[in-house]
Amino acid sequence: MFELSREGIEFVKKEMTRYETKRSAVIPCLFRVQKENGGWVSPESIAYLAQLMDVPERWVQEVATFYTMFNKQPVGKYHVQVCCNISCAMAGGREMTDKICQSLGVEEGAVSKDRRYTVSRVECLGSCGTAPMMQVNDDYYENLSADKAVKILRELE
Amino acid sequence: MPKVKLNGKEIEVKPGTMLIDAFKQAGEDIAHYCYHPGLPTAGVCRLCMVEIEGNPRMQIACNTVVTEGMSARNNSDKVKEAVRWGLNFHLINHPLDCPICDQAGECGLQDQYMKFGKYTPEMSEQKVKKRKVVSLGERVVLDSERCILCSRCVRFTSEITKTNELGIFNRGDHAEIGTFEDKPLNNNYSMNTVDICPVGALTSKDFRFRQRVWYLKDASSICTGCSTGCKIRVYYNEEGLFRIKPEHNPEVNGYWMCDKGRDIYKHVNPEARLQEARWGQVGNWQVKDIAEALREAGEAIRASVRDSHHSKVALVLTGQQTLEELTAAVKFFLSDLNSRDIYHWINNPEEMEKFDGLLFRGDRNPNTKGLLSLLASEKVSATWAQLEGKLNSHEIETLMVVGPEDPGVFPDLAAKLKLFAKAKRLVWLSSARVAAVDQVTTATWQIPLKSFFEKDGTLVNAQGRKQTLRKIATLIPAAVSVDQAVAVMSGREKAVPMGKFELNWKKTNFFVGERGSL
Repeated sequence: MFELSREGIEFVKKEMTRYETKRSAVIPCLFRVQKENGGWVSPESIAYLAQLMDVPERWVQEVATFYTMFNKQPVGKYHVQVCCNISCAMAGGREMTDKICQSLGVEEGAVSKDRRYTVSRVECLGSCGTAPMMQVNDDYYENLSADKAVKILRELE
Repeated sequence: MPKVKLNGKEIEVKPGTMLIDAFKQAGEDIAHYCYHPGLPTAGVCRLCMVEIEGNPRMQIACNTVVTEGMSARNNSDKVKEAVRWGLNFHLINHPLDCPICDQAGECGLQDQYMKFGKYTPEMSEQKVKKRKVVSLGERVVLDSERCILCSRCVRFTSEITKTNELGIFNRGDHAEIGTFEDKPLNNNYSMNTVDICPVGALTSKDFRFRQRVWYLKDASSICTGCSTGCKIRVYYNEEGLFRIKPEHNPEVNGYWMCDKGRDIYKHVNPEARLQEARWGQVGNWQVKDIAEALREAGEAIRASVRDSHHSKVALVLTGQQTLEELTAAVKFFLSDLNSRDIYHWINNPEEMEKFDGLLFRGDRNPNTKGLLSLLASEKVSATWAQLEGKLNSHEIETLMVVGPEDPGVFPDLAAKLKLFAKAKRLVWLSSARVAAVDQVTTATWQIPLKSFFEKDGTLVNAQGRKQTLRKIATLIPAAVSVDQAVAVMSGREKAVPMGKFELNWKKTNFFVGERGSL
């Protein structure tokens, strides 16, 4: 059974007073839940948040399923999101994704056997000037090449 | 009062009217899916496009408030072209499985397609596959592929029932309606979502695949499922009654009705009915001619009065019959028999005052108010405890019971029958076939009554509104109404007018020739 930490609950309570309607607070709260739930939002965590915020479960579910930034499936310790939108694609982003998957031995979108990595292709992350790039959890790694990216990922703690 | 000009017609409307309502008021056709007069505006289907004078772009009529001197039209080629394209977009992922779809014949998509269809589909892409035949609770089935995301059902559960089960999940092509974690949609109003669904996405488990809608005839009536008395439409053909839907009545039920009320057709159909008059007791029943049974029963009642100094008869009434029937029975006892032993059988005393805040009431009798006011005006004040006392001390010789039309709402039926059996003779009038009555150990006449479908009359609902019930057809030829029965019992009439089986509405497709040409 998923539960937020004490700080997490305080965060949710604060967010709910920040906006005119509770509905507006769903996104920041859901992000917090995702963080505390190991990178993804499970149905139980959605039900928990809905109960905590005193809103219908379907409100939270609608938001969670609408945005790709909420992972509906479990992810590895490092969620690697490689940009494959125009600038990055032109600079080799797609090939880089394939290379990363191959070197780490993980299927795109799936969790690696050691549960360390999940690699997914995403649309523009707003760092076109430094293409190709990837985002690992909350951090950007820019001006990459395939080898560089794999090296960075291997060296993560 | 703003004056508006719609398709050249000038009309006056109330301030604050939406343009789509103004179009309807003017009697002009306007295409729409997501708009529903009983629900808040969503403006998602983009079909009610109109051209407003002085406005460079077309607007949706369902979300535009009329202003003084507004001039709008929806019969121009520009509008028709916009609706045609809007419709084509709706059909991109719609499976077009009309031949196997239960909604065919009353489908909004079919209707609009006849008017605005492009007929030559221009979509060569693969359709998105979604979930089919998803069970949403006890009464509703969901087919996501057919859904056009008008959000009527979602707005219904969020605004009318406020239960918030349904939502639209995912995004774009993959968006579909559903419930969180497939939780069942088991509120008492779930079937309204089936009614308002303009396509075959939500269908009724009870009615699915039982009849094609063009083989059904419909008629207006009053729901007898509880004391609210919603206005309903009954759908039937020669094979029986098939379903019940709500009809708009702003004073009582608005656009909706509850799920429990939709089951009332089941105890009207012949298989649930008492088909003929019977006489006897447990293990020994004889079928009798209805007039003969009534004459005998009447004779027994009158003999019980004649042979004694004090009343040895009693009458038990329920709130299930019409005011006219109840009046006839009460008058029979008061004036013909000079007896004031008239009792009100309250079937569920704990639930009587319950109300769910929307429509459904705990009092499952359509005419309790009518019966109570009748008893009050005749100053009949006998209590149920008195009847119990009299029956237990075997003071009652002949007991007449005007029993339930729907035995399902009488949880105390078996217990009450045991009590009634303490009378020497029982005259049991009921439209329903009740198995427990066949087990009665005292001499009993079973008289078949007409159901709400087969008689005229007045029902007084919980608000005190008098509502008129109209006869639609006869299903049980031998059945009588209580006033007919009482006329024979009292000796005023010798026979009852025999009904004829009238449910002979043939299954014919009356839409043939009326639909658009291809």
